[in-house]
Amino acid sequence: MKRRTLDIILYRTYAELKSEAQRTYIGVLWWILEPVVFMLIFYFIFGVLFQRGTEDFVPFLLIGLALWHWFQATVMQCSGAISANRGLIQQVYVPNYVFPTVVVLANGAKFVVVLVILFVFLYLWGITPTWHWLESFLVLVSALCLTVGIAYLFAAITPLLPDMKLLLQNGLRGLFFLSGIFFDLSRIPEPYAGWLRWNPVATVVDDLRNVLMREQTPAWDSLLAIGGGSLVLIFLSLTLMRHNESRYAKSTL
Amino acid sequence: MSSTNPVISVSNIGVCFSRFRLPFVGGRRHYWALTDVSFDVYPGETVGVIGRNASGKTTLLKVLAGIIAPDRGDIRRAEINISLLSLQVGFIPHLPGRENAILSSILLGLTKQEALARLPAIIEFSELEDFIDEPISVYSAGMRARLGFSVAYYAAPEVLLIDESLAVGDQDFRVKSAAAIREIITSNHTVILVSHDLDTIRQLCDRVVWIEKGETVAVDVPEKVIPDYQHHERQRGISTSRD
Repeated sequence: MKRRTLDIILYRTYAELKSEAQRTYIGVLWWILEPVVFMLIFYFIFGVLFQRGTEDFVPFLLIGLALWHWFQATVMQCSGAISANRGLIQQVYVPNYVFPTVVVLANGAKFVVVLVILFVFLYLWGITPTWHWLESFLVLVSALCLTVGIAYLFAAITPLLPDMKLLLQNGLRGLFFLSGIFFDLSRIPEPYAGWLRWNPVATVVDDLRNVLMREQTPAWDSLLAIGGGSLVLIFLSLTLMRHNESRYAKSTL
Repeated sequence: MSSTNPVISVSNIGVCFSRFRLPFVGGRRHYWALTDVSFDVYPGETVGVIGRNASGKTTLLKVLAGIIAPDRGDIRRAEINISLLSLQVGFIPHLPGRENAILSSILLGLTKQEALARLPAIIEFSELEDFIDEPISVYSAGMRARLGFSVAYYAAPEVLLIDESLAVGDQDFRVKSAAAIREIITSNHTVILVSHDLDTIRQLCDRVVWIEKGETVAVDVPEKVIPDYQHHERQRGISTSRD
């Protein structure tokens, strides 16, 4: 990577975070408030109204929602990242992977804030930190690879196939319900439960709960498979983006 | 001798725009914006590009800038910064002028360090003074244009591609920006200039490339190409007025 490309990625991430913070009166506070409000809504519906909660339902829900919210926002914004910069890529040559990468970094920064809040909350809720908490780092690395892989893939193909954006919106809606964010997948009867275990998002969500709430070790083999598979996906998507740069600049869609 | 190597060399390049449609709904649509263009650009020279509207001039500049790759033919670009003179590249509305100037400079090819070093000159030239720390969403169109021009001027690459006149802003700044562009063109910079203004081309360019329907018709000194072009346009004017 050239020095200038790295400078673009870093400065643009800073600029976008700053501009986003300046667009509203309370600015940075929204990074905390937005996920908190999102979580409160789900807590109110499923924890209070439906009385679904076992006693640990709240931390269970918040871990799932925090991870999902980050995953979904990153994938969704990446799919539109190159199109959103169409004016720019017609004026000056910039390696196109820069745009989704900025999205990944900006969302990553916000996710770190959410994670800190989450950890503090879990502690205050009465969950004693164990050595397993350290393993959450590896679960999160695997989740990061998965998120970036899927996000880059859609970043590469959506500018050429705009219909993909609608497909993705609905696909993510379905995935949300199939990833066990607000219910425990183990309650689902076989053979469906077996099918759902092939969902990598469900796997990382479950593993994060294992290490943070249940004092369990994550399923290393599946985490490794997700991480490795995602790295391949990242590489393929980057190749696809590089190969199609000229097409993105020419596209009028 | 390396000094005589061209900085850009294009041979027989063609560029095709196609719009993918689903089968049975519309098929594939093709449009060749460039069909057969060839010429070389040497270090330090100013090359004019002339041709009627829709002859492919803007597409040609995009190929030279590396924004789109030709679908056929061959382009060789030296390992230096070759880019379009473009204003307000990557400006973000809610970001202050200062940060936008840095961001835009980096996008135009500077490193962050170089951008920071040139920042005082950019701010001075833009005449924005205290407004530089206000978000550009509060700027008038003229203020934004001034900042955009100052960045483009101080981040000017080794090989500059100019599409039409880029004088901007109010009357005083127009004079100043036009003078700044002329200064770049007459300096050691290599410049490729697209313009409809034949007088400007005659004054500033060492050589002229005439393209027509995506093909090079002639590449030579202005004294030879421009009269032929004018003659050709007059002929065309007569034949169309007869229709």
